[in-house]
Amino acid sequence: MATQEELKKANDKLNNEVKIALANVTLNKTLGKMCADYPAKRAKANIGIDFEANKENLVAAKEDAANHVDEMIEMFTKNATARGAKVFRAKSNKEAMDFILKFCTDRNAKLVVKSKSMASEELQMNEVLEEHGIDVFGADLGDFILQLDHNTPMHLVLPALYLNRDQVGDLFTDFQKHEVSHTIDDETKEARKIMRDKFIRCDIGFSGCNCAIAETGTVCTMTNEGNGRMVATLPTHHLYLFGIEKFVRRFKDAEYVFRVLPRNGTGQRITAYLSMYTGTNQVVMNKETDEKADKEFQIVILDTPERRSILADPDFRQVFNCIRCGGCQDMCPAFALVGGHAFGSRVYGGGIGVMLTQFLIDPVRADAIQNICLQCGRCKDVCPVGMQIPEMIMTLRNRKAKANPDSVQRFAIETVNNRKLFHSMLRIASVAQQPFSKGAPMIRHLPMFLSNLTVGRSLPTVAPVPFRDIFPTIVQNVPNPKGKIALFAGCLLDFVYTDIARDVVLDLNSIGYLVDMPMDQGCCGSPAITMGDPENAVNAAINNIEAMHAEDYDYIVSACPSCTEELRKYATFFDEGTEEYAKAKELSDKSYDFCKLFYMLGGLQDSGDDKPMKITYHDSCHLNRALGVSQEQRELLTHTNGVELTEMFEHDNCCGFGGAYCIQYPEISQKILEKKINNIKDTGADYVVVDCPGCMMQIRGGLDAADLPITVKHTAEVIAEKRGLI
Amino acid sequence: MSMIKDEVYDRFKSALEAVAGKCYRTSKADLAKTVVKALKDDYGYTDACLAETPLLKEAGVGKAMEEAGIKTYTDHIRLNQETAKGGVTESQYAIADLGSIVQTGTDVDRRIVACLSELMVCVVKGSNVISEWSDFFDTIGALPEHPNFIGIVTGPSRTSDIEMVSVVGVHGPLNLTAIVVEDE
Repeated sequence: MATQEELKKANDKLNNEVKIALANVTLNKTLGKMCADYPAKRAKANIGIDFEANKENLVAAKEDAANHVDEMIEMFTKNATARGAKVFRAKSNKEAMDFILKFCTDRNAKLVVKSKSMASEELQMNEVLEEHGIDVFGADLGDFILQLDHNTPMHLVLPALYLNRDQVGDLFTDFQKHEVSHTIDDETKEARKIMRDKFIRCDIGFSGCNCAIAETGTVCTMTNEGNGRMVATLPTHHLYLFGIEKFVRRFKDAEYVFRVLPRNGTGQRITAYLSMYTGTNQVVMNKETDEKADKEFQIVILDTPERRSILADPDFRQVFNCIRCGGCQDMCPAFALVGGHAFGSRVYGGGIGVMLTQFLIDPVRADAIQNICLQCGRCKDVCPVGMQIPEMIMTLRNRKAKANPDSVQRFAIETVNNRKLFHSMLRIASVAQQPFSKGAPMIRHLPMFLSNLTVGRSLPTVAPVPFRDIFPTIVQNVPNPKGKIALFAGCLLDFVYTDIARDVVLDLNSIGYLVDMPMDQGCCGSPAITMGDPENAVNAAINNIEAMHAEDYDYIVSACPSCTEELRKYATFFDEGTEEYAKAKELSDKSYDFCKLFYMLGGLQDSGDDKPMKITYHDSCHLNRALGVSQEQRELLTHTNGVELTEMFEHDNCCGFGGAYCIQYPEISQKILEKKINNIKDTGADYVVVDCPGCMMQIRGGLDAADLPITVKHTAEVIAEKRGLI
Repeated sequence: MSMIKDEVYDRFKSALEAVAGKCYRTSKADLAKTVVKALKDDYGYTDACLAETPLLKEAGVGKAMEEAGIKTYTDHIRLNQETAKGGVTESQYAIADLGSIVQTGTDVDRRIVACLSELMVCVVKGSNVISEWSDFFDTIGALPEHPNFIGIVTGPSRTSDIEMVSVVGVHGPLNLTAIVVEDE
């Protein structure tokens, strides 16, 4: 277990890397564009494909292999050996590297050419072989560029995207000792020239593997460049390295891997080359005499304790299903900004990279980089094996917090959870903030170490009167109520955006429901969960179950999707069959986010004041992905007379708020916000409508800081205003 | 032996063209002429390696190439393909849906042609054009012995490793032409 000092060092190093990455203009441009284009490209490649059916088949195939991994190894070894391959099962990375080194030195190899292999990056194979006087060339163009730049992969599929054509041209010029023009065409031609010579002369070809089929003893590699075929066709010795997670049982199972890997990886329906090797194959032993014979085909299987520890951990076993497509990286708003050098280890980056780093590379590094995850859940939309990446990262965060409790963080959470204390503090804050707000509704500057919070973003002020004091003054005119709803206001509606809470009440009144606000309610527990403190989340649940009296109401409404999500999770905190569980479940089952509940209860009407209102809509990550609500609010808005909705680019992408994230990584949060603000601006809308007070705070802050005359409104506010309820 | 349906051929051609490949459909009688056109008329190549198969021999491809002034190598392919620009061979299958050609079997000359040439000309029998991806797995799965090598090639070699700009020909062929031969 890492010490506090090691963790601090890792965090400091990461913070520095984040700053460097954010300042890298090339990275921002190329990676940013790639990630922005990715969803549309992927969607196009997936036309006509039943992604969900393929996911089901693929998961079944991968789970079958993982559940029978010893059988897979045995079957594969038997079948590959029967066809002339040799198979070595390495029980540690060192054993694998020692074997590979001996294989090369025994054959007096001077030149090894490698097609892409992430497993070889784990072993740091190039460095080890080179220390022993063996030249190693990465044949993949990206790998070759990395080698010239003495760097590690920035992305699973596109490892050298952090460099532009000029930088690549300089690297090529240095290597070739003659000027190589800085055009991508010429650089590619130069690479062809350099590598062609290596392919023809190399002693040993080396391959990575995308999939190993046990019942046929087959290894498969996908490439676009053809380097995979070169290293398998030309040299007389061929090494193939892969980990035990690459197995599938049947040939037919590979169909599911290769249907989705290129579509998710590069938005292609298939890569230019897919090669499958079953045992040895013929090569030319001597090109002058044209003598032919079977090549030496040596397979090395990495069956290490680190890989076995993934299988042994039920919370992370699904990592074995990963086919390394990189889709989770391309969808991640934080990865799109900083890339895999900062958000990753020397081998694996992005969402899945956190887990692979934890188990295979460096747990201390994993502890640091897991903080970069915003928990927006966008990665889950595209994962071809349905991995619950944010949930796994949260589990890591919880384990880390348990092993290394952060006293300051814990104090903060305990304060938030102590309703009376927290609410008193907020009341004091509404007075104390005045020097910074200067009477305006936004705080534009904070002093000293807090100043980062207001770079590119203004903060809202705490309301002078909290909603809990306003609520009793609201007159609810509902003559024949259809039912009774309890309002769970959450901290932001209670103490900052009190108008939204009022409008939720009036909107629900307008369709025949009375609203009550149980006053003992406190924080929903979401901040505790985000900071890896499940114990305090359970305390929050216990308090709210007691406070909300779900049994007295038909529904519980919240206008903050993070709170709603948390309320709906309460039942999972308790053991089934217990009294606590029954109470929690009643509350969870009755809890809905405002727009969903309003829609469900007949709120969809063609009504409104007909005054033109040009809006765009921002999807909250929690509402859209965690609660699955994306259409109801659009229908409610577009059925409101006068409202014209123009969708913004990446409307489903995070705004950068991420709960405590905007405090922990203000620089990343701010850049994500800048993109969001630009997308909003591009629609020409006068209003951005949201359903999450957190997003509202973030986006309103970004618009204010950019001095843009665009207003942010909650759906509940638009309905109340346009239907004349206020 | 069944003929290739127009719909399947059209799908194959359009998928291959979508990945910057070329496609012809011809009879066995016109096969040799079509190979020459693919090499010489389309790209101006005057030397090529030919990895022979019974069909290519029967159709007189090598002879036609020589007669058209194309220096043709049928042996020492490993040596000669290092310099010869064109490469001609036959693939066992194609997959219409993806525009892919599929090489199976261990014969190294056929594999070298597919790796080292600048232009790969690949002949495939119409009856061996498989409609869909999953049919391909069924076809291979039904073979009495699993092939030592299966190589699915879809268009020319390509990369996007620099600035995500797609460029063809980084290692393998710069161009790929498939010729579908009608079965008789």
